[in-house]
Amino acid sequence: MAVASRTPLPGAHGMGERIVDALLSGRGIWPAVPAIIVLTVVAVIPFVILLSLGFSDIEVSRGAIASRTFSLEYIANALTDPLYWTTFQRSMTLALTTTALCVFFGYPVAYLYLVGGRWTKRLILVLTIAPLLTSGIVRTYAWLVILGGRGVVNSTLMGLGLIDQPLRIMNTHWAVLIGMVQIHLPVMILPLIAVMSRHDTRLMEAAANLGASHLGTLRTVIMPLSVPGIGTGAALVFTLSYTTFVVPQLLGGGNYLNAATMIYEQVVYSLEWSKGSVSSMILMVTCLIVLVAIALVTNHFTRWTQGRDA
Amino acid sequence: MMQGPSGPATIVATTSPVLRIGGVFKRFGAVTVLDNCSLDVAEGEIVTLLGPSGCGKTTLLRCIAGFWEADGGSITIDGQDMARVPVNRRPVGVVFQSYALFPHLTVARNVGYALRMQGMAQAEAERRVAAALETVSLVGLEHRYPAQLSGGQQQRVAIARVLVMEPRVLLLDEPFNALDAKLRGTMQVELRQLIKSLGLTSIFVTHDQEEALTMSDRIAVMRGGRIEQADSPNEIFDRPATAYVADFIGSSNFWPAQVVDGQVALPDGQSVASALQGPVRVMARPHNLQIAPPSAGPWTGKIVFQRPVGPLIETHVETDGGGVVKVVAMRRESERAFAHEALVSLHIVSPALCAVYPD
Repeated sequence: MAVASRTPLPGAHGMGERIVDALLSGRGIWPAVPAIIVLTVVAVIPFVILLSLGFSDIEVSRGAIASRTFSLEYIANALTDPLYWTTFQRSMTLALTTTALCVFFGYPVAYLYLVGGRWTKRLILVLTIAPLLTSGIVRTYAWLVILGGRGVVNSTLMGLGLIDQPLRIMNTHWAVLIGMVQIHLPVMILPLIAVMSRHDTRLMEAAANLGASHLGTLRTVIMPLSVPGIGTGAALVFTLSYTTFVVPQLLGGGNYLNAATMIYEQVVYSLEWSKGSVSSMILMVTCLIVLVAIALVTNHFTRWTQGRDA
Repeated sequence: MMQGPSGPATIVATTSPVLRIGGVFKRFGAVTVLDNCSLDVAEGEIVTLLGPSGCGKTTLLRCIAGFWEADGGSITIDGQDMARVPVNRRPVGVVFQSYALFPHLTVARNVGYALRMQGMAQAEAERRVAAALETVSLVGLEHRYPAQLSGGQQQRVAIARVLVMEPRVLLLDEPFNALDAKLRGTMQVELRQLIKSLGLTSIFVTHDQEEALTMSDRIAVMRGGRIEQADSPNEIFDRPATAYVADFIGSSNFWPAQVVDGQVALPDGQSVASALQGPVRVMARPHNLQIAPPSAGPWTGKIVFQRPVGPLIETHVETDGGGVVKVVAMRRESERAFAHEALVSLHIVSPALCAVYPD
């Protein structure tokens, strides 16, 4: 079929024929054209509009833009207003802490998957994937039940007589952090497992044969080889938790302001679309900076993969 | 020929074996993979474990290395029982199939790995790494990563990596599998000479009989978790202890016969002595047979296939009694004189080299 389309019948040299022929030939950029068109319509154009809003002074009435004039006011405001600074700092700290904790709690699970037997592996896989099949909102609500004033944690601690009155966990920074780590842990564990299960088990045997203890093998062989997994997992967890909306909104009690909740308020409540646009730009740029940093660090520790096919 | 746990009487106290495997058993569920395996390996000896896949040779190697625990019997090195010695404390170096080099470490750091794990001072470790790289002729490639090396170079890194820790026993698990056929032959000879020059006591696992014949001082042919015969390559080839060994090593011709008065009559009119009784199977190597014009003897047949094998010529003769007999001879004019489908007679060159096995 592909061959036939590449050699059209004589006399069938119409414009349409040639375009279809080019698309099906599998050469050059032609096969990517449909995807490029779709992405331009649904992503690139809205994105450009969003960016242009940040450079405009607009008036919104009845959900539509009534008037707009060019202005750098909102950009300048954002760079000087301490509210932006503290909000993005809070978001960044939360996301970086979440990422670090996900590595800290996720790595042992992935290691257990690597060294565990068949049933351990299955159990870990089921327990990691199952939460992904439930909605993030449902999982976040579960934390309300656990951490609330009459929740499992408080009633247990009070039952044991360790505390006299319920601890205030809900609607604090801690509740948000706990929820973030739990929600994003599978996204850390899965890439780690994917990278680790590609390891040749003989490398571990070779390390043991050469005198390495279990800890020595973990430190000198397993960890260096799983750096790409840590990098991928960290990038995913950071991006998701830096831009998250549901967890801070529900567990932070509506007054926990991070980047996403701030943008939400600017756009939906105060109808300051230009402010929302500027906030989105800052969110995207700072997120990219951290992702590049993660990629650079990962590359530094995986120099050995370069020139593999040389 | 099988050596019992007590060891052969020929080994005297001064040359007590470095490695002694005594009646080792290993089971996986209901399957017995090693069934009372016993073998002694003397200082500086290269012993090959040879057998088809599933015969237990790799299992035995893994038990010696300590990756798996034997279910019974004992493995001792220099008289010390290895049962309670963990894998990272055994004086054993393993060269893995496809080498298992650490992909994230350079050649120098791969080779120095064992020394770092011992916590050796850096200057001394560097000196030893340099010496090991010199031994395997890899000087100048210290800073390459394994992926940047050829198969032969990777193999030499794997060898240098275990040499630096000066193991008492070297274990090689099919080390030539990852190499192409042409390189294999050269590397076999080189590796044997290297191991011999270092005087390393070695166990070498392979399913390739040519490799075994090239590499070994002694070959232990394994079958179903047991060692069928452990002898020098020449003994194994010329005097296989069982029909299985004869069939596995080299090519062979078998035919049924009867023992009468301690003699087995051979089809060409000669005879061979045997201590067995009743029905037996007689084995003759193809090079122990010769073809002659049909009138020259009573064992006659027709040539059904002929092919050149390097300097040799291999002829298949369908005998009048049925069955095909393989004959191998040097490529000379006289052998080429017999055309396809020609009628010929067969002769046994040396009846004493015909083996007789119980049927």
